[in-house]
Amino acid sequence: MKIKTEQIHFSEGLSLESGEKLDSFDLIIESYGELNESKSNAILLCHAFSGNHHAAGEDEELGIGWWDQIVGPNKAIDTEKYYVVCCNNLGGCAGSSGPTTINAATNKVFGKDFPLVTVDDWVNSQKMLMDKLDIPYWHLVAGGSLGGMQALQWSIAYPDNIKKAGIFAAAAKSSTQNIAMNEVARESIRKDKNFHNGDYYDHNVTPKNGIKTARMLGHITYLSEELMDSRFGRKFQDEASKVDQDVDFEVENYLQYKGEKFSEFFDANSYILMTKAMDGYDAGKDRNLEEAMENIKAELLIVGFYSDWLYPAERGKEIQIAGMNNNIKSSFVVFDGEHGHDSFLFHSTEYSNVIKKFIES
Amino acid sequence: MATKLSKIINHWVPENSKVIDFGCGDGSLLKELIETKNILGYGIEINNLKIEKCIEKGVPVIKQDIDEGMNEFKSSNFDLSIMARSIQCLKNPNLALNRMLELSRRCVVTLPNLGYWRCRINLASGKMPVTPELPSSWYETENIHLCTIKDFEDLCKKENIEIKDKVFLNKDGSRGGLASIKPNLLAVEGVYLLEK
Repeated sequence: MKIKTEQIHFSEGLSLESGEKLDSFDLIIESYGELNESKSNAILLCHAFSGNHHAAGEDEELGIGWWDQIVGPNKAIDTEKYYVVCCNNLGGCAGSSGPTTINAATNKVFGKDFPLVTVDDWVNSQKMLMDKLDIPYWHLVAGGSLGGMQALQWSIAYPDNIKKAGIFAAAAKSSTQNIAMNEVARESIRKDKNFHNGDYYDHNVTPKNGIKTARMLGHITYLSEELMDSRFGRKFQDEASKVDQDVDFEVENYLQYKGEKFSEFFDANSYILMTKAMDGYDAGKDRNLEEAMENIKAELLIVGFYSDWLYPAERGKEIQIAGMNNNIKSSFVVFDGEHGHDSFLFHSTEYSNVIKKFIES
Repeated sequence: MATKLSKIINHWVPENSKVIDFGCGDGSLLKELIETKNILGYGIEINNLKIEKCIEKGVPVIKQDIDEGMNEFKSSNFDLSIMARSIQCLKNPNLALNRMLELSRRCVVTLPNLGYWRCRINLASGKMPVTPELPSSWYETENIHLCTIKDFEDLCKKENIEIKDKVFLNKDGSRGGLASIKPNLLAVEGVYLLEK
């Protein structure tokens, strides 16, 4: 599969929900497949908190795409039939404007001064991207977790520019528990002695330990108890492959390894920004969810997983019910999912079939 | 089967109405009603393979175990609720009937008739009925609350549910001439329009 990577500059800037303005910004995008003549086959994929624009295929630097099991030739989201686009969200650290990019006004990296962005801002920037790509509407906007929130927001904010929304392992707002978990992660970053109040770039260090701890906690919340039991149990790590002498159990070794790897590439200010965006999203805003959804024209497919305790399936059902109360064509499907919250990333025949049939119905 | 059923209940379904179908299976009945009556239909189904079929047809569907509750659909203002060939599978059929009539003023219920003569012959020979309409053995069947036409109508009376209309079906699913004369003995299935 051919991967097309582009860096797109938006000189017109973007007014943010916070009231601040980005004078100009860049989005890095990947696209797969071809836009058809009638421009009716475009699909936007929205990434979750730590994802990026590399959704599918294999890239020398970025490895295998985060949704490669679902997106590709003849897969659930078929790149032979559809023109599929994915961008790195604003505030990320994979190439779009964010804390690690240069602020034109100061000629220094933004760092902690990169403005607070929200799910609404992301969707607004993705709409600008859609216009720039000269696409009249998305046949489908889909994503899991924080990506599912963007798909929902798309259907609310731009009802005329989206035909279908795939909202997977998501909720209309983060729960108190979600916010609490994210705060522990942020605290571990802020309390790293190398964080320097977010100005670590000036000191040529990164708060690696903080990011690592944050990611270790994150990983626990993404997996199900059952999966952890079956995969690691109480097995001890063998001496030869220990990442650290203090490690006893395999699960410790796994978390250490995953945390370490993540801390090598993910930016701490991005981590804080992305989790803040996730915590802050509330599709209902100052109204209730039902009122917020009244103008939706898109068909909705909401998928939950029984093994997901971070965004339990019931949270997805709330979206479906609010949609149905507004006479929106909306379906709610639940699968067992072996992987807890992460289940939305993985192919299973029934999950892929439902996505495929939803797209083609 | 769905085509016939949709023809039979067609004139009970208002144009452009909002309909919920409990135990919607592969969504064929809703699909027929969408095409003929332009309804906005939602199916409730527990089986993932059937859910997949609904989505394939473009019929909105919700995964839900009906026994675990129907209250959450209350706020949706349905005009009609349907339960075709499913009520006998529920733990509390009488509760479900009442819940449906809280969701919508009217509901359509269809059920297999255990009083059908073939079933009676089976029972008379000392065995649980296994017929083309009720093909599973007693230990495998999902039909845990089978009843006769008479039983069902007695339940409606007891629950103050008004039977606005009814149709009795032959074994080929068609509207029965003979079946209507002595439904408890000759009808394979009863189709009811209920109101409370």
